[in-house]
Amino acid sequence: MADRRKYVIPGDVVTSGPFRPEQNVMLEGNNIIATAVGISEIYEDSVKVIPLTGKYIPKIDDLVIGKVISHTSLSWELDVNSCYVGFLPAQDVFGRDFSTHVDELSSKLKTGDLVAARIANFDRTRDPLITISDRDLGKIDEGILVKISPSKVPRLIGKKGSMIQMIEMATNAAVTIGQNGWVVVSCDTAEGLSKAKKAIEMVNEKAHIANLTDQIKDMLEVKDES
Amino acid sequence: MASVSVIDELKKAQILELLEQGKRIDGRALDEPREIKIEINAIPKANGSARVHLGDTDVLCGVKIQPDRPFPDVGDKGMFMCTAELLPLSHPTVETGPPRDDVIELARVVDRGIRESHMVDVSQLVIEKDKSVVGVFADVVAIDYDGNYFDACSYAATAALLTSKTPTWEMVDDQPTVVEGGEKQLPTSTIPVSVTMGKIGNHIVVDPNGDEWASMDCRVTITTDSDGHIVALQKGGSDGFTQDEINECGDLSIKVGAKIREQLKLAQQESQ
Amino acid sequence: MGGRDATMVLLDENGIRCDGRKIDEPRKIMIKAGGLKNADGSAYIEFGDNKILVGVYGPRDVHPKHMSNTDTGILRVRYHMEPFSVDERKRPAPSRREIEISKVIKEALEPAVMLEKFPRTAVDVFIEVLQADGGTRCAALTAASVALADAGIPMRDMVAAIASGKVADTIILDVNNEEDQAGQADMPIGYMPSLKKITLLQLDGVLTPEEYKECVDVGVKGCEVVYELQKKALKDKYFGNRSD
Repeated sequence: MADRRKYVIPGDVVTSGPFRPEQNVMLEGNNIIATAVGISEIYEDSVKVIPLTGKYIPKIDDLVIGKVISHTSLSWELDVNSCYVGFLPAQDVFGRDFSTHVDELSSKLKTGDLVAARIANFDRTRDPLITISDRDLGKIDEGILVKISPSKVPRLIGKKGSMIQMIEMATNAAVTIGQNGWVVVSCDTAEGLSKAKKAIEMVNEKAHIANLTDQIKDMLEVKDES
Repeated sequence: MASVSVIDELKKAQILELLEQGKRIDGRALDEPREIKIEINAIPKANGSARVHLGDTDVLCGVKIQPDRPFPDVGDKGMFMCTAELLPLSHPTVETGPPRDDVIELARVVDRGIRESHMVDVSQLVIEKDKSVVGVFADVVAIDYDGNYFDACSYAATAALLTSKTPTWEMVDDQPTVVEGGEKQLPTSTIPVSVTMGKIGNHIVVDPNGDEWASMDCRVTITTDSDGHIVALQKGGSDGFTQDEINECGDLSIKVGAKIREQLKLAQQESQ
Repeated sequence: MGGRDATMVLLDENGIRCDGRKIDEPRKIMIKAGGLKNADGSAYIEFGDNKILVGVYGPRDVHPKHMSNTDTGILRVRYHMEPFSVDERKRPAPSRREIEISKVIKEALEPAVMLEKFPRTAVDVFIEVLQADGGTRCAALTAASVALADAGIPMRDMVAAIASGKVADTIILDVNNEEDQAGQADMPIGYMPSLKKITLLQLDGVLTPEEYKECVDVGVKGCEVVYELQKKALKDKYFGNRSD
């Protein structure tokens, strides 16, 4: 581990001195203290901790996978693996001419449906506002949902997308990664689907291991005996 | 279980599609239960205990055996009670407070399966007729959920009772008093085994896991005893079984139950 | 639940306690972070013969809505003992003792958790005592702290806990069940080791002003020992075999 990175738990002193406390740290006197289990990083003038656990905290423009858990006549409620429930207004799907007399929400999305969505707006005073009105967003019609810890998403993507591309190319699967840790995998073959799922689960379990990329590469190259 | 959270539609469709091909989402055969792990004596200070893992479903039973007053009018019988509780840490939808109807059903079904098998002979649990009897309490708590609490709780209670040790009491100055050196195995006469089957579409699956439980239309729990007799049965869920399906379930409960009984027997032998 | 046994020797002439320990020696402690599949965070502790499991959910929506706070998340704690956890079977319904302990543990954790960042939510801490042997509230608080960190709840510090006490006119560390029943004082203490604040403190017994200060001091030092095990539990789960 490089000098400027350390494993920390809540209460650990990361460093002291004139640093700006960023995510998951706080200033106590002259000390910068970690407030999460994770890896601390000290920059020139700021300090933060990358958490290794915890729910997804919505960020505007994040791509997420959501699951419809209920709806009223005006909106859907989505589970986005966060502390807050996502809010998808009917106008986002039906357009500005939406009318409760004419348009029935469950004709487009019903309870249990999965969607690829974006966080349109979020602040702590209200639930995250969701949109599915872009071209690459909307109801997911095929594939399986694999859940990983949101903190492992960067590892699953890899440097410049290298990890996920390796998995997709080796299995022929299409993978949509939600920043909220929910991942949709679809594939023409059952074998490819199963291998892709296994690779994603391996990243989730072994993210801290140094030669993870090699281990996954080896697993992907094994031909099924069946 | 009414407290199941929303299952995603893609997974439900996948479960049904696989069943049409004779396969299950976790690779099991339709009549195959998950691996059962039984840890005896998980709570050494109790008279008996067992922690059971049925896949990722995790339950714990502790047995307490202590003197008690008999029920009025039933002075020649001891007491046997089996309870089941879902701990709020087992699933995000479990609430604290008075139990909901599905949890009460679970507790009563688990109790009935053991009681109707006459596994514990309450007429042998009398210290002094009409005055003092022995109470055997099997309390099951659910710790983690992945479908089929009925069977997990039943196996935990059965395993705990099979391996329980009880003191012997005698009346001294009108008080039940422990007899030194009188500890013995709790006498049990049979090994009840419950098998729960779920109906998804037109398919019957044994020991539904969490995803299958959320996808099924209805379920039935059937308990058999060591003689292969059916001693208790409960159908649940909002749909119905055909007569042929119910008969098939009866046969499955005997066949699958027999194999699980061997595992419980092994746990009993290892504890002695 | 057992009376005072006048014949039990709580401290012999060699300074050895009824279970073979020295006066400043805690019981064997084992803490594991994680373990439950559905809970957002969890921990398991064995503290002597105490066996306690903690599950944490949250931050999550509050129901009923009127219980939520628009400015900050709320912490809810439920300390519960299984019927088979104690000598005489306990009825499942919450007792007054469990309700009081739930409150005391909640107030010991509140200074540590940072819920201002999660308005309108709740963090639920569910403590289940599977087997009890004196000092359950301290073991429970210790495990709850680990479970909260495991769940990723932002915290200023961990909270570690242990009970100090007095038997045979001597201050001891980590009071067991017999010492609690037949001894002279029992002082559960919960402590934040980095911020150096005592967030749980109760006393049952009779202490002189000097004994009181010594008892607190012994307890705080004991908490620091417990804290090292909390750290180890989280390190083992999250940092593998790597240290730093």
